[in-house]
Order: sequence, then C-alpha cells, then structure tokens
Amino acid sequence: MAHVEHAASAPAILQEVKPAVLPRAVLVGHGRSFSWITDKICGIIEGKTPAWWWWCFIVACFVASFTVAGLVYLVATGVGVWGHANPVNWAWDIVNFVFWIGIGHAGTLISAILCLLRQKWRTSINRAAEAMTIFAVVCAAIFPVFHVGRIWYAWYLFPIPNSNIIWQNFRSPLEWDVFAVSTYGTVSVLFWYVGLLPDLAVLRDRFYAAGNKFRSFLYGLFALGWRGSNRHWSNYEMAYIILAGISTPLVLSVHTIVSFDFAVSLLPGWHTTIFPPYFVAGAIFSGFGMVLTLMLPLRAVYGLEDLITQYHIDCMCKITLATGTIVGYAYSMEFFIAWYGANPYEGFAFINRAFGHYAWAYWIMITCNVITPQFFWFKSVRNNTALVWVLSIFVNVGMWFERFVIIVTSLARDFLPSSWGYYSPSIVEIFTFFGTFGVFSVLFLLFIRFLPVMPMAELKAVTPQADVHGGHDHH
Amino acid sequence: MSAQAANAPAALATESATASTATKALLVGAAGLGLTAVGALLGPDKHGVVMSYLVGITYWTAIAIGMLLLILIHHIVDASWSAVIRRQWEHATQAFTWLFVLFLPLLILAWVKPGFIWPWMNEATPLHGGHGTVGTDVLYQKKSGFLNLGMFTGMTLGFFAIWIGLSHLLKKASVAQDSDGDTKWTFTNRKLAAIGLPLTALSLTFAAIYWVKSLEYHWFSTMYGVWFFANCVRGALSISVLIMLWLWTRGDYKGILNTNHLHSIGQLVFAFTVFWAYVTFSQYFLIWNANVPEETFWYNLREVNHDGHTNQWWYVGLVILFGHFFVPFLYLLSYRHKVIHSKVKPIVLWILAIILVDVCYNILPALKDGHGDSLPFFSLNLLWVATSVAGIGGVCAWAYLRSFPTTKLIPIRDPRIVESLTHHE
Repeated sequence: MAHVEHAASAPAILQEVKPAVLPRAVLVGHGRSFSWITDKICGIIEGKTPAWWWWCFIVACFVASFTVAGLVYLVATGVGVWGHANPVNWAWDIVNFVFWIGIGHAGTLISAILCLLRQKWRTSINRAAEAMTIFAVVCAAIFPVFHVGRIWYAWYLFPIPNSNIIWQNFRSPLEWDVFAVSTYGTVSVLFWYVGLLPDLAVLRDRFYAAGNKFRSFLYGLFALGWRGSNRHWSNYEMAYIILAGISTPLVLSVHTIVSFDFAVSLLPGWHTTIFPPYFVAGAIFSGFGMVLTLMLPLRAVYGLEDLITQYHIDCMCKITLATGTIVGYAYSMEFFIAWYGANPYEGFAFINRAFGHYAWAYWIMITCNVITPQFFWFKSVRNNTALVWVLSIFVNVGMWFERFVIIVTSLARDFLPSSWGYYSPSIVEIFTFFGTFGVFSVLFLLFIRFLPVMPMAELKAVTPQADVHGGHDHH
Repeated sequence: MSAQAANAPAALATESATASTATKALLVGAAGLGLTAVGALLGPDKHGVVMSYLVGITYWTAIAIGMLLLILIHHIVDASWSAVIRRQWEHATQAFTWLFVLFLPLLILAWVKPGFIWPWMNEATPLHGGHGTVGTDVLYQKKSGFLNLGMFTGMTLGFFAIWIGLSHLLKKASVAQDSDGDTKWTFTNRKLAAIGLPLTALSLTFAAIYWVKSLEYHWFSTMYGVWFFANCVRGALSISVLIMLWLWTRGDYKGILNTNHLHSIGQLVFAFTVFWAYVTFSQYFLIWNANVPEETFWYNLREVNHDGHTNQWWYVGLVILFGHFFVPFLYLLSYRHKVIHSKVKPIVLWILAIILVDVCYNILPALKDGHGDSLPFFSLNLLWVATSVAGIGGVCAWAYLRSFPTTKLIPIRDPRIVESLTHHE
C-alpha cells in the first residue's frame, strides 16, 4: 500500500529548480502588526460614534419606513394594492425576493467555498459579507411572506397539520423555497456567529480593561466563555470547517431551488434546463457586486486600505468578471436554444425580450451584466476604486433587471395574445422595495457600529509574521 | 556537471522505457483502429461501428479538452499546487493534433455519405414513423441555417484549430520558461488563458451540440454544454491521477509529489462528481417534471420501447445514476481513499469507465430499429466501442509519451514551482 511521502533522497531535477521571481501579493499591507490589526478593528467599535454614521442611520431609518408603511398599507388594504393584474400576477414581489436572495449568496460563498478552496484573501471581507447575507435574507423574506396576502396565515407555509386539513403542496418549488431559504438563513447565522466568537471575546476583554463593565458583560455573554485555549481553538476550527462543508451545498441549493420556481413551469422563457447553474452564477455575481458596493466605502471611511488591499479588490473584480461572463454564456445559450429548439412560443419569448415592449429592460440587463464586468479585464479599471464602485452599482442594477426581465416579460406575453398585458408597478410596490434598501442599510450600519467588521484572528493568521516558515519561500 | 553525468545513464534508461511504452501504446492504438476499420468495412452493421467510433473520439476529445481547461484554469487563477502536474497536461493536450486526424474519417464520411451518422445532413433521410423526410421536416427547416454540412465542417475545423492552437502555445511558453526563467512567459500564458477559457467553453459547447446532441436533432437542452464540460474535467482529473501514480511508480515523481497533491486532486474529482450529478439531475428533473413530449422523447428512447416495455438503456441509466454519482461520491468522502495509491486508482478507473458509459448513453441510442426503438446496449457495438476507445486511446497515449521526454518533468522555473513542491494543507 503505497502512501506518497517526501522521498528521503531528492531527485536530480530538483537541483535544477530555480523559480522565476514573482512574489505573491501581501494580504495585509505595510507589515502591520497583530496589535495594529486589533486596535484598528476594535477602534471602529470603541471610538465615538461618528457624525456620518448618525446621518446615514437616520436616512436609512427614513428609507426603511417606506417598507414599513407599504407593508402596513398592504396588510390593511389587501394584496391588490400591488400592481399585479392578469396575466402578470407575480412581479415585483418575486423579482425583489430573488434579487435579495441572490445578494445573500456572496457571504456564505466567501466564507464556505473560498474557505474550502483555501483562498486566504477572503479573510478581509468574509465577516461583512456574511452579515450582508443575513440582512439580504431578511429583506428577501419580506416579499413572499407578505405576498400570501393574509399575513397571519403565513405559518401555513410550514407543514404543520391543523384542524382545517390544509396540507402544503410539496410538489411546488415555492414550498421547497421555504425550507431552502430558512435552512440557509439559519446556517448562515450560525456560521457568522461561530466566526464572531473569538472577536467578541477580544472586545469583552478590551471593554473590561477600559472599565466599561456593561459592554464587557454584553460581549462576554455572546462570547460564550471563550478563553482562547488550545481546546477552544481546536473545537472552533473543527466547527468552522464542518459548517463550511454544510454551507457549500446550501449556497448552491438555495438558488437552484429559486431557479426551479420558474424552470419547473411550462412558460416560455422559464422552462429551460440551464436555469440552476445559471441562477447560482448570477447570485454569486450579484453578491460580489454588493460586497464591492459596501466594502469600498467602508474601506475609505475607516482607512482600511492595509486590510482590504488592491489585491482583494482585484480578486473580487475577477470573480465578478468570471461570474458575469458565465451569466453571459447562459443568456446566449438560452437565446440560441430558443431558436434551435424551433418552438415558436419559446422563440417569441426571447425575441420579445430583446425587441418587445420590455426591450429597454432587457438591454439594461445585458449592458449591466455582460458588458459592465468586461471592464474588469483591465488593470487600470481595477486600480481605480471609484470606478470599480460605480461598476459594482451597475452590477446590482443589472441583476435586479435580470429577474425583472425573466419574470415579467414571460408573463406579460404568454400563450394567449388576447390576455397580453403590460405590467407597471404600483407606487406601493415601488415604496416597499425602495424601503428594503433602508432596512438593509439600518442593519448593516448597526453591524459595523457594534460588531467587528473583520475577523481579527483570521486576518492575523495571513500576515507574514504568522507564517511558521518565517515568510520565506519554503512552505 | 558531475551530478548530471552520474544521472545520465538513469535518464537514458528512463527515456528508453518511455519510448518503449510509447511504441506499445501506438501498437495498441493501431490494433484498435485496425479492428474498428475491419468492422466498418466488413462488419454486418457498419452504422453501429461508425457510431461506436464516434463514442471513442468524443470520449478522448472530452478528456483532452478537460486537460486543456485544467491548464487554462491553472494559469488564470495563478495556482500553485498544480504546477508539478501541469507539464503532464501540456504533454497530454498534444494529442489534439492526432484527435483531429482521427476525426477526419467521420468528416470525410459526412461528405461522402451525408446522413449516415448525423441524419440531418441528408434531406432525403426518412423520418421514423413515415413522417416524411428530413428535408420536409419543419423542425429541421427551422434549424437548417445551423445544422448543415458546411457549418458542421467549418465549426469542427474551428474547434480543433482552437484546441490545437491553444495547447501548442501554452506548452511553448511553459517550456520556454524552463530555459530563461523569464516571468513574461507566465504572463503570456495568463493572457492566453483569459482568451482561451471563453473560446474553449464555447467550442466544447458547440462540439457537444454538433457531434452528440444533433444525433437527435429534434431534441434540445440548454444544459448540454455544461454536462459535457463536467465530463471533460472529470475525465481529465481522473487521467491526471493515473499519470501521477504511473510517474510515481516509475520513480520520476518520487521526491516531487506528496500526499497533499493527491488529496487536492482527489478533492477536485469529488467536487466534479457532485457538479456532474447536479447538472445531470437538473437536466433530467426539469424535463421529467415538465413532461413535454418534444423534450421527454430523448429520455423515453432511453427507457422504453414503442410497445411500452423497458429497454436496456433504462438499466444503463440506473448504472449511470449510481455509478457516476453515488459510488464515487461515497467512496471519495474518505481522505484515505483520495491519497492511498491502491485506493484512489480503482475509483478513477471506475470514473473513466462510467464516463464512457455516459457517452455511450448519449450517442448509441441514436441507432434505431424499424420501430424507432433504440438498439440494445448489449450488442456487437460494445466490441466496436472497445476497439475504438482502445485505438484512439492508444494514439492519445502515444502522443503524450512522444511529447513526454522532450521537456523537463516539471516546469523548473515556474514562479510557483517551489510552492507546488512543498504543497501542504
């Protein structure tokens, strides 16, 4: 039973090994020390609340109130206050749901899949991306829950036998969504929380040392008695890798099931076999778009350039480019097979998308999702942080329009021309969706104010001084 | 200098052993191709032989494409651990030239006897069930701008031009770096990878559509290119493991390869096992669930005959379901099964075999009897599949072994070579 090990005597060719010099990018700039990293990240929480934070928080609360008002009005009046009308009985609610769920993919992708792929650059952005995931899932959940109309019956979604013998339709992917999203949300929270434990303990100790007993108590409560012992770290590492293993299929399954919401139907433009991987790629694409949108201002405001380096921005841009190109491949394949399949309804659905009443939406989608990321081929673009931020906004816009195009164009022009219609959102829908950006922002602002935005221990582990080989070539 | 002199006899012996193995591979290839040719010329079912040959060429081309993709991905992500294996992929992709040569008989046959392999190439080909001919088929008429002999030929030449061109350029730059150690070669290959990845993705998609999917030209699935991609990479990874074990056994890789290389590549085999299952399940599930006849007929052909009786392909489908996914999935969950030679070798051989069954499942049911039912899986065609796979595989192995001694075993001046040699978790 051969078991490959290093041979005692090196072969001759190893004597010829003389690698060209091409240093890897550093993950923490300017050789920052461990204490600098701790001070920098804890300083965001420990320092006085900056004025900009309050301004942003007030504006975000105001914007969030639009969602609250929209939902209150909906519940008080009925779901008819949304702009749905035959044949488009499903529009902004599901568009917004898929949009937010898609954004919620990057966090767990960065934490789980990049962790399994041993991509060390993820350490600077994973905490904030995980937080973003949870907040995005919260925003996403609003829409299907309120679309049931009588919100007080939302619990019918769960398979709880009751006296009215209402059984859920387990053959519906919408029911699968309930389980997929709730499982994903739960595991994402767990993953995020487990990762936070060592950092919460750091904050507990620092507040204690600073004499702030109350905050020390609160952080200590949530730190679950973390002492940083070898045993704690060993259990932590094991839990983290297991959660990464569980989360990876979950990340893929959630958007796969979301894609099934459409693909299991017979509607032209929806029933296509590439939907599952195409939706997953799109979700990662939009998730990274949002990570860039959030992290670049955070980096500038808090002076985190040594922790979110140009290399991190490069990596995020390249993933956005790769997933955007995969999405472009899926668009092309859909269009091609719609023609190749020679089904007149399918062909019409795609021609209608590109040249029909909603052509404006289609071309916004193509411009934002296929053309925009191609700018990331250029180093000069990736090095221009302001431009990257603007392009990331385009990605977010494009991915919202992707869902709009898929859902609304197919429904508005279905099999029966006499029932064709043109969907326009009602002001209530617009306000409700607009407000979710406020809900998201409120939660994110609270996060950056009260929790460490980066995993300190993980960041320290990727510094040269943490390298057991002392940072030289031999690993 | 003196060390080199001392190693010279050993190197010469290794080179001689490689040449001898190459000759044996060529002989196997010639024998396989010869037998296939005999079957095609003298056998009772020439159509079956040619379709079996298509299985062979598709199978090996898929694996070569997978190797090319692995090189491209290696360069684009600036990978480190795979640097010690990359040179073997560069050798293996030299088989594209010979795969092109071996594809020519099919291309020539397509021109000489249109419709013999791909029915849509001849508008006079009758449709099953007496529904006229291909030329009168409205579904064909709609697709004729794409499905025509000229486009097929041009596209196939284009696919091979892309694959041959990329594989030569990638190897050239990689070998050049061995001499001068210039990092410009790393950047050259990185740029090539950036251009090559979309080109390879598109070419493999359309190759799968033209060569395999269009055998049933009524059928369509947007997932098909992704399915083919999954098999390409999975097959390439499996062959890579075999090459690694072979070079270890010969002694070349001793002191170079460590347990972590096998673990990493084993993890990729595992990941692509899941990915293949995900893609294949999604395609099957969405078609089964929608239950639209224009899509389900492709699976029906592989499940039941016209009289409603289950045919052999249904059982082949089950073998694929369990063999392609469950068996390798459960087996490769274990760390030991990925790194111990005697344990990893059987599973990659199994995967290679089951990919072949999958390719058969996609191609051979296009052979039909008078009722329009697919001919059984267990037939003389399996013999021709075996001779074709051995023949084309022998030539591919020869092409690899022919290229093997022309360069250093590993890219000795690659910037990431030390990281790769010391690869650890």
